[in-house]
Amino acid sequence: MNLSTVVAVLILALWFAAAPARAATFTASLDHDTITLGESATLSLTFDGGSPKSVPLPPNVSGLQISYDGPSSQFSFINGQTSSTITHHFTITPRQTGEFTIPALAASVDGQQLRSQPVTLTVLTASAPPAAAINSGSQIAFMKLSLPKKEIYAGEVVTAELDVYLRDDVQNFSNPQLTGTPASGFTVGKIMPGSARRAQIGNRVYTVFPIFVALTDLQSGDLSVGPFTLNATLLVPASNQQQTQDPFFQQFGIHSPFVNSGEEKQVTLATDTLNVESLALPAENVPANFNGAVGNYTMTVTAGPTNLAVGDPITIRAQISGRGAFDALALPDQSVWHDFKIFPPTSKVETTDQLGINGSKTFEEIVAPQNADVRALPPFSFSFFDPEQKIYRTLTRPAVQLAVRSAGTTPAPMIAATKPAAAENPPPQQDILPLKENPGALAQTGPPFVTRPAFLALQSLPVLAFLAAFVWRRRADSLANNPRLRRQLRVAQLVRDGSNDLRRFAAENNPDEFFAALFRLLQEQLGERLDCPASSITENVIDEHPVLRGAPKETLDELRELFQLCNQARYAPVRGSSELNSVAAQFEKVVGEVQNLKA
Amino acid sequence: MKNHFSFQLCRRRRKESLICRRFEPRHLGSYWILVLLALVFAGKIFAVDVAGDFSAANKFYAEGKFADAATAYEKILASGETSPNLLFNYGNAEFKSGNLGRAIAAFRRAGLLAPRDSEIRANLDFARNQVQGATLRESRWENWLGSLTLNEWTFLAVAAFWLTFALLAATQLRPALKTALRRLTFVVGIVTIFSGACLGADAAIYFSKQTAVIVAPEATARSGPFDEAQSVFTARDGVELAVLSRRDDWLQVTDGSGKIGWLQDKQAEVLPGG
Repeated sequence: MNLSTVVAVLILALWFAAAPARAATFTASLDHDTITLGESATLSLTFDGGSPKSVPLPPNVSGLQISYDGPSSQFSFINGQTSSTITHHFTITPRQTGEFTIPALAASVDGQQLRSQPVTLTVLTASAPPAAAINSGSQIAFMKLSLPKKEIYAGEVVTAELDVYLRDDVQNFSNPQLTGTPASGFTVGKIMPGSARRAQIGNRVYTVFPIFVALTDLQSGDLSVGPFTLNATLLVPASNQQQTQDPFFQQFGIHSPFVNSGEEKQVTLATDTLNVESLALPAENVPANFNGAVGNYTMTVTAGPTNLAVGDPITIRAQISGRGAFDALALPDQSVWHDFKIFPPTSKVETTDQLGINGSKTFEEIVAPQNADVRALPPFSFSFFDPEQKIYRTLTRPAVQLAVRSAGTTPAPMIAATKPAAAENPPPQQDILPLKENPGALAQTGPPFVTRPAFLALQSLPVLAFLAAFVWRRRADSLANNPRLRRQLRVAQLVRDGSNDLRRFAAENNPDEFFAALFRLLQEQLGERLDCPASSITENVIDEHPVLRGAPKETLDELRELFQLCNQARYAPVRGSSELNSVAAQFEKVVGEVQNLKA
Repeated sequence: MKNHFSFQLCRRRRKESLICRRFEPRHLGSYWILVLLALVFAGKIFAVDVAGDFSAANKFYAEGKFADAATAYEKILASGETSPNLLFNYGNAEFKSGNLGRAIAAFRRAGLLAPRDSEIRANLDFARNQVQGATLRESRWENWLGSLTLNEWTFLAVAAFWLTFALLAATQLRPALKTALRRLTFVVGIVTIFSGACLGADAAIYFSKQTAVIVAPEATARSGPFDEAQSVFTARDGVELAVLSRRDDWLQVTDGSGKIGWLQDKQAEVLPGG
């Protein structure tokens, strides 16, 4: 171990020794310690330097709803010190105003018992700004809540209008969230935004965004609505223009197009509380079949089939349309329908507005006549209280004549032109459909094909086939347009085949065929390289053609020798196999060199 | 090579023993046929077994022993074999046993295998109508995509994809066909893109969305994945909820009205798709 290694080891040892052993800590904190009713705060339980065995749960605190959001972790390595932090987040939603204390929590971290400090959350009531401030135009944003009337009836549906006022210098209004819609004695229904309008208050112009809220009165007495609260992000002019203006543009007295001149501001808006008097429904002249419907309605009733056997189902479809609380609408009790078996009705609500207070509710009820003496469906009636007229009203549809025959008798002939009523109004399914008799095609369920690697790999085949066809087409086109290349390839093939022939002729000791083939191959190869007809190639071209002048001298000598051998063979044809083989080898060597010559 | 070796060995020993003859290559074809026949008959015997169990379960149902029928169907399903009819009957048996959630889950599983079976659809709708409380429903778009199974979408898209590239390759091999095939290639290309998009959307729903069907009489969704956490909402048997995440034995779910809570996974059956 040399000196530098020892020094490095010592430095590392000192460095790690210098890193203090960090003890685990446990802290509890709130992102906001004061919020308004309707807002939420986040409680963070942070473990620094360790992880708890189990997540410490805050105890139930009256007036607070605490829900677990999940953990987050952080690992850092700064100046040789490592630290890991795990934070468990909880959302705290207050249900009432006041000061709430979440007590100290205990957790076990690496066998060490840790306690956090208690945290306190103050929940305030959001309140509307004073009227004087609104009228002066000093409020950058505020809300107003209004109801169409101060006296309503229990069960009535009213539409509250919540107007959000934004002053003309608000540059953007984003992330609006209605955080609180307290309405004692009401159920809050659907919410619908309206069309924006402009209004002048004092010396300022405001843009008004209306929001309509459906409220259903549940009880009589003195009720209150509000304060409604809304959180939003406003982009307002920056309080310090100097900081946000570019000096270059400032000297010309204009705003920089590259600097955002506004600042974002989180605001919580609140309305006043409105008091409403909810009146009890009148006790006199209450229809016998009144079952609590309040609103303004019309009714249509259809029933079919009307020609049927005892026990056959008749579908009665009653559609109640108008304005009111459709969810609470129920069919009146048909206690006088003694001769019918009545099945529980089904219902479907179809609303025509976004608030869900205008529309229709369709009831489908199945009844079955119990004897053949039944002649008609009794009149169908529905009563409701009209809050506008302040009276009870009853809608009645007359009796529907029936032709009921005993079960098993032949049905009356039908006129061919009329559609059977049952086809128009098929009775709803009364029970689940019966079993299937055979199990069908049984199979092991596997993963979907789209997740199987082999199946996915198989899909590359058509792409590869197309690419192969594409390359083949390019090559074919290229050859068709290039006769020299075509000749080059043809001659190369010819030489390959010819070389085999030469070896064969040599093995057969057939010098005549050997040298004839050799001469022809030399002509073909040189003709291709020199771009002239093969038949015109003789030994003379070796010295004359400019392309061959650039070839190595050895190559030219060997070419000459091969030509001379071919010529000599005509006069002295007898040669041995070994000599022919060496000529063939010489030919292959020379041809390779000739093929490398630049044409 | 192994068979060849066995053949040589037999010849060397010059014994026409039965064993040697068994391994002679010229008999290999016969053995393959025997193996295939054995496999086919094994399948038939298994199918007969399942058919017998299925009939027995149907008989329980006909006798009004719905719980026994459900157990019998469940036993067949536990063997790994499944079919739309089997799941349909299982759903019926669970429905009649009063287990609305299990019935809905079974009908939905059957619907995943046979999405165009009107009887499965009818029983699913009927069972869903008995459910109390807010529950999730598929959107119209999801219903339309669900008219084909994921595998059916896959094969449709793959067929169109192969045909498109076959046509493109044909125009490369025979340029004279280019004009004649241009319109067909364009149409098939559009079909490929459309079916591919539908496959992608269906796969996204299948793999990214999960539905929890409540199978307990009443399940309490809590604000955190702990038994001690506060209750957020309760869901009745058969209610369908969207699964947002999982942690250990807990499912984070949301109902149709936007409420979010944590359920113990034993209280729900989780199905793929929205």
